[in-house]
Amino acid sequence: MNDENKAEAKLDDIQLAAVVSSSVFVVWFAVYWFFQIQAVRELFEFVRVNNF
Amino acid sequence: MNEIIYNIVVWMDGFEWSTSLHESYYMYNWIESTHVLTLMVSLGMLFMIDLRMLGAAFPNVPATTLAHRLNLPMWIGFSAMIITGVLLVYAIPVRTSQSLWFRFKMVLLVCAAVNAYLLHKRMSESGASWENDAKAPKKIRISAALSLGFWTLIVISGRFIAYDWFDCEYGQSAVISFVAGCVDGQTQW
Amino acid sequence: MPTSILGPYTRTITAVVLVVFTVVFFYTVRVSVRASIEPLFDWMTASWFGIIGTTWGAAFAIVEALHLIGLALIGGTVIASDGRLLGLVLADQEPGVVVQKTYRIFNWALILTLSTGVFMACGVAGKIYFLKVFWYKMLALSAGMLFEYGIRRPLLEKDLEDITPWVIKLTATASIMVWFTVGALGRWIGYSG
Repeated sequence: MNDENKAEAKLDDIQLAAVVSSSVFVVWFAVYWFFQIQAVRELFEFVRVNNF
Repeated sequence: MNEIIYNIVVWMDGFEWSTSLHESYYMYNWIESTHVLTLMVSLGMLFMIDLRMLGAAFPNVPATTLAHRLNLPMWIGFSAMIITGVLLVYAIPVRTSQSLWFRFKMVLLVCAAVNAYLLHKRMSESGASWENDAKAPKKIRISAALSLGFWTLIVISGRFIAYDWFDCEYGQSAVISFVAGCVDGQTQW
Repeated sequence: MPTSILGPYTRTITAVVLVVFTVVFFYTVRVSVRASIEPLFDWMTASWFGIIGTTWGAAFAIVEALHLIGLALIGGTVIASDGRLLGLVLADQEPGVVVQKTYRIFNWALILTLSTGVFMACGVAGKIYFLKVFWYKMLALSAGMLFEYGIRRPLLEKDLEDITPWVIKLTATASIMVWFTVGALGRWIGYSG
């Protein structure tokens, strides 16, 4: 593999690593914060019960 | 003056929303979390601007350009902090208004606001001649340093509000009682 | 020039291995490993930092405020840097320049946040050891630091025109998410226990 191909492969490696890790973070973040929306549900329930 | 403030906050405390906010585990914590976390946005942007004026950040970026571009996210953050801050006071109005640290924080906020106004005024008056320099002119640097100082003290005093060392409920010296706004014979805390 | 034993995709393989390892660790040996480091937390409580933190609430509060300042600085650099990569802030400035200029501030802010965090952890070591949210925060913090120094910075060292645009945006989005999650979890520690 010549130098130019090595450089391209290295760039692909970093990009692929970035895609893998970023995707994991985004998915984890979405799942975690989905379960944290409890407070908003509680607020809506409070508003609904008190007829505001 | 302290009695007037006390009467107003006792009136606020009488609202059902106030009590509900205070007693709601999720809502109060969410509001406080938002108040603290949006400082990553508001103070983060403010610190970037101040550090640029002091020459410690983004020396290659024109200073006034940086200040103008970061102004919008900064104000979005501040708006969220003001709204959540008002809600936090509304949830526990009596204790908060009689907190020495809260009053200190409000005074510091006024100082920071005046300083910010002066900084912007000096920026406008000084024109664009220095904006590509690594450091801003001396008066603007002083304002930026003061801004950093004020906001650090604001964060510290905000953190101290949670501590009850100087609460009216526990009987304080005359000076502390006056500054904190304790009212003789008050029945609510 | 020495080449990696893992071939041309060393970083990717390392990232995948770390993710798999974390998931496996979480569902298998997590409890026993945590039990084995309990003496460390006992030591932290008895340490000089721990004693100061538990004895003087004012000292703990000031350190916590400095922790928040560090958090604000991290937030500022993340918004400036990743915001620029997403085209949301400082859109008329060269992205490479904006990103590079945030590195030093981010490094110092992280040092401030970590050092104040260690102090605070010593002060409440007995409590945080049992808090799930504390361990989540350490996971997010570790992931954030590995991501920042192991992936994001090496990626952005390249000429941005040579990087696929959606990869830049995905990386910037993930970076913002990680650091705000670290901040939020830290805040939630205060409400727990």
